[in-house]
Amino acid sequence: MTDNELAFLRDDPEMADLFLAEALDHLATIEAALLALDERPGDVTLLNDIFRPFHTIKGNAGALGVTSVQEVAHSVENLLDLARSGRRTMGPADVDVVLRAVDVLTSMIRDVGVRLSGQPGADLASVAQALIESVDMLISGEPEARLKPGTTDPKPDVAASARRGEENTAIKVDTRKLDSLVDAVGELIIVQSLIQEDPALANHVDQRLAGNLGQLKRITAGLQRSAMALRMVPIRQAFQKVSRIVRDLSRKADKSVELVLSGEDTELDRKVVEEITDPLMHMVRNSIDHAIEPAAARRAAGKRPQARIALSAYHQGGHIVIEIADDGKGLDTQKIKARAIERGLIAPGASPSADEINALIFEPGFSTAEKVTEISGRGVGMDVVRRNIDALRGRVEIATEQGKGTTFSIRLPLTLAVLDGLIVGVGRERFVMPTTGVRESLRPLPAHVHNVQGSPRVVQVRDSLLPLISLGELFGLPHEGDPCKATVVVIEDAGSQVGLIVDTLLGKQEVVIKSLGETFASVRGIAGGAILGDGRIGLILDAHGIVELERGVNRAAA
Amino acid sequence: MEAGKYLTFTLAGEEYGVPVLRVREIIKMMDITEVPQVPPHVKGVLNLRGKVIPVVDLRLKFGFTKVDITSRTCIIVVEVALAASRVMMGVIVDHVSEVLNIVADEIAPTPEFGDRVCTDHIKGMAKVKGTVKILLDLDRVLGTDDAALSAA
Repeated sequence: MTDNELAFLRDDPEMADLFLAEALDHLATIEAALLALDERPGDVTLLNDIFRPFHTIKGNAGALGVTSVQEVAHSVENLLDLARSGRRTMGPADVDVVLRAVDVLTSMIRDVGVRLSGQPGADLASVAQALIESVDMLISGEPEARLKPGTTDPKPDVAASARRGEENTAIKVDTRKLDSLVDAVGELIIVQSLIQEDPALANHVDQRLAGNLGQLKRITAGLQRSAMALRMVPIRQAFQKVSRIVRDLSRKADKSVELVLSGEDTELDRKVVEEITDPLMHMVRNSIDHAIEPAAARRAAGKRPQARIALSAYHQGGHIVIEIADDGKGLDTQKIKARAIERGLIAPGASPSADEINALIFEPGFSTAEKVTEISGRGVGMDVVRRNIDALRGRVEIATEQGKGTTFSIRLPLTLAVLDGLIVGVGRERFVMPTTGVRESLRPLPAHVHNVQGSPRVVQVRDSLLPLISLGELFGLPHEGDPCKATVVVIEDAGSQVGLIVDTLLGKQEVVIKSLGETFASVRGIAGGAILGDGRIGLILDAHGIVELERGVNRAAA
Repeated sequence: MEAGKYLTFTLAGEEYGVPVLRVREIIKMMDITEVPQVPPHVKGVLNLRGKVIPVVDLRLKFGFTKVDITSRTCIIVVEVALAASRVMMGVIVDHVSEVLNIVADEIAPTPEFGDRVCTDHIKGMAKVKGTVKILLDLDRVLGTDDAALSAA
């Protein structure tokens, strides 16, 4: 691509934004249709669904002077046209090439965006050229021999135009506008609760005022729900990327895999969908490479030669659960245990449960793979998966049966915008602890608190001894020094528990999460801020950061 | 040097000015939530109608002694360039004076004070009605160049 091609777009940034967004949208549509076409080759409706957006991209790119994009789109269009007119059947090789074209075009479109923002672009000319050549070879390698009479069908266009009518009910909105709406609604909720709880009103008994206030509360709550719903998108987009990976990898690894999707319409926050895509792809990649046996081994074990991976999403009690289930060989708990002992992750005398052992696959650098393959096995990955899921305030669980398969269940909050928090007080400050990380809270008996070098460091909770962290001490705030007069909140971080000493427990509240901004990017142990009922800001605690910070403090003191 | 309208305020008896175009609003002293691991001049965060904004005590930032909050103590909310974006920040000052139209003739470049006084964040000095106003470069005082903000 040359910068000359972008002259027109540079002059009209709005047009450029629209062109880029539309093109990427079209490419996503094409990819979905291609994956479906792989199963139903010759489906004319699908072919049209692929052809049309290619044609649009070609037309737009041509009109705006982006000739390199136009050329690629044009060459693919030639291939698709043959198939559409019945002179060619789209075999796996054709689908492969078109999928590759989607990838190339996606990078080219992104590159246009990068260049327009003033940064240096990538050199994609040779990639584009290679693609055009392979399309041409496919076309010329297959002469018009496979003529199938009677497959030319003008009807799909009617269906297509009907579908276009449906699409018009949706509009594109800049996410920033959406965020500012959600922000404004958050403010409204707070003001509403400030008014509701105002002492001046509480003493003022008036039927009509109380009724109106109740009405205001209901309307604001409804408004908040609608505003939140605006940010929700179906998880389909993430699942589609997984479909693509399964298709590519099952070929590469020479294992036949059937992917079964369910619950693609389950909605969750756009941000969660974006952030969960990578971990999902990683886990599926792992399943294909490690868990699923080659066809021969499967036959020997009395299984279907074609493996099956089921990806599903569903709601459960205010959360969304995403499950990845394979029918592979299951986790080898003994092998994981042996490797863990070798690496010092389990003390030699300890007897951890099978679940605890299996959870070790999420430790950094852990791999039992005998060979490193192109796909995976380097031991990087599952720890990243868990870190990503933790960052989304989610949890991941493993259920496995040797020889039968493994199911990973990821539990995620529906949205990142609000969280259920436990409000705790230290000195005059209040903090919000996300309830996902809280196991229990208690006021320990003096006999259960043990001092180390003069300060309380360990608490006994039933049978286990937990390290104690004083939040007040850690953050340098005035605080209650005696844990028996204060409260201990047991929090969990990456599988281990610690007791957090706070002065008081103030209650539970759903809060809207606000970023503290770049100014406080280096502050550890704090995940953000939330505006509490009285209008003051309470800092949101980050369990992982607190544990890390405490370790750092201890190391510095030692 | 930029002529134009400046909002002037007092800090330990000295007069300072910031470009009025960068000032979003002036608010009374509010309840500020402390944030751990930051230098003393970063007072914390406050809730400005639902937005969380950081607050800096300019007295402490410039090395003056801490004083009690009076009825005249104000927070000036300004826009600052931080990394690639523009953010809102609150600045605590002793009291706000007035908006002055300063013409180019009145502005003199910052004199050299030698090594003992850091003048990086001063854009210039304006002589208006017999007094000197120190014109601040907000991005230098509060923005990217303020390494102290990120140092824990």
